[in-house]
Amino acid sequence: MRILISTGHLGTAPSNPESFHRGMETNPDYVVADAGSSDPGPVYLGANIRLGHFARDELELFLTATRKKGIPLIIGSAGDSGSNHGVDHFVAMMRELAQEHHIPKFKLGYFYSEVSKDYLKGKLAHGKKLTGLGGFPDLTAEEIDQATRIVAVSGIHPFVKLLDMGADVIIGGRCGDINFTAAPCIRAGFPEALAYHMGKMIECASLVAEPFMGKETVIGTISHEDIKITPYHPDQRCTVASAAGHSMYERENPYYEYTLGGMLDMRNCRYEQFDERTCRISGARWQPAKELRVKIEGAKKIGERCMGIAGIRDPHVVRNIDQAIEWCKTSVAKRFGKEKYELYFHVFGKNGVLKELEPLKDAQPHEVGVVVEGLADTTELAEKITDFAVRMFFFARIPGVKGTAGTAATTKQTMRSSPGYLWNVNHTVPIDDPLELFPVHMTEAGV
Amino acid sequence: MAIKLGELATTVRSKNAGVNQITFDIIFRNPQDYERARKSGKLTREAIARFMGIPQARISDFVEFDVANAIKFTIYRLRPGGSPGDWDMLGCQQYGPLLDIEIP
Repeated sequence: MRILISTGHLGTAPSNPESFHRGMETNPDYVVADAGSSDPGPVYLGANIRLGHFARDELELFLTATRKKGIPLIIGSAGDSGSNHGVDHFVAMMRELAQEHHIPKFKLGYFYSEVSKDYLKGKLAHGKKLTGLGGFPDLTAEEIDQATRIVAVSGIHPFVKLLDMGADVIIGGRCGDINFTAAPCIRAGFPEALAYHMGKMIECASLVAEPFMGKETVIGTISHEDIKITPYHPDQRCTVASAAGHSMYERENPYYEYTLGGMLDMRNCRYEQFDERTCRISGARWQPAKELRVKIEGAKKIGERCMGIAGIRDPHVVRNIDQAIEWCKTSVAKRFGKEKYELYFHVFGKNGVLKELEPLKDAQPHEVGVVVEGLADTTELAEKITDFAVRMFFFARIPGVKGTAGTAATTKQTMRSSPGYLWNVNHTVPIDDPLELFPVHMTEAGV
Repeated sequence: MAIKLGELATTVRSKNAGVNQITFDIIFRNPQDYERARKSGKLTREAIARFMGIPQARISDFVEFDVANAIKFTIYRLRPGGSPGDWDMLGCQQYGPLLDIEIP
């Protein structure tokens, strides 16, 4: 069975159509794509906004190409966060596109993955532990209440269910990024270990091959003995080095991958060059879980957010930038001390990117840029505080300064940014049925 | 002669591993370069903690991944990715300083 994928994150940039069509010419059995991630931060889930300006373009490419050939299409984590709104939006776009392109009627399946707070608090009330992942303490009822939205991360189960119901196109809520590929493979009877491992290897499309290219097509082929990964951009190859290197990408540990229902053990994997462009992989093992635990993700709001920028060129102020920041903080505290606010200074040229992890503590840049990030309960207050903090750079009182007409270059208005959110749910919850949090629905689209 | 990690390794990268961790991958061209780095003592759990100025407890995982000629380690963030005050939401620029590590 062969599965085609052309993007690691649907909607962020368009898939390259050349390698996509080259792959489609070989008639794969399924086309899949991941539309979501927790990587862009908590604001997308928290504020229920969608990431990426190319989702419609990519869905159009995928839908028209797959419907022409009758190949099923599976999309996971719709709308980035996998919220119900993201799923509904993708389903609506599919309907519109089907009308626009006069696509003959087809079955459009979808599932949701938002979890109610009452359901989770009910688990706590029954003495179940909601275990923290990645260093989070176990979840409390207070944190559940503070979250604005919580999604559960599905396994293969709702995808398999919808395929059983005859779906031609599936729009998934939040799911593990290995599962939309593993689902059709396992449903077709291929070994679970190889199916999940293929899901892992192709979830970022061309990132599994070399040289580095994004948004190009690869096809994964599964048999009962192995998986093979082949890139469809003419200048890319999937090598032992690129595949083994990718197997550890964006995961804490290269050997284990956990998903709803079990754990993929990659300790004894073998990578071999099958042909010039194809890597052959085998040896993964699947260990079913003793207890079904589903991952949940949630975000809570910190406040409305504004940002302003101050540029500093006076070498004396640059040398004493910490003092200038202290002056700003103190001035804000003096004036707004009674308000609830958060204020951050990103000092580019010093440690704006790495913060406390920057090892170059004493570097002497000739200029620095300071982004002031301010949060408060209302946009008006966030803007007032942020703007005031930026002005305070202009008025920084540093002994020995020569310029008395302003100690920072400023321009433009203080800018409104997205609201500030914090991931506060990153946990697992025990469940009885792998479908219980993922209600499936079937509808029709097309003409 | 010592060589900088940025010259010896083919890939040095960092990326989110979940919402509260950042993982670092250092991949070498061949087993010889990998062995040289591995045996240098500059890329152990202790040495990395010292280089980054963090307690070892902040390193959640450290693996020598032979099949990929790679050294991989993961650290906890102080606050989850994308929180107010974070300017590397994907964790993808945190590898920068590693390029300057001198490998004997």
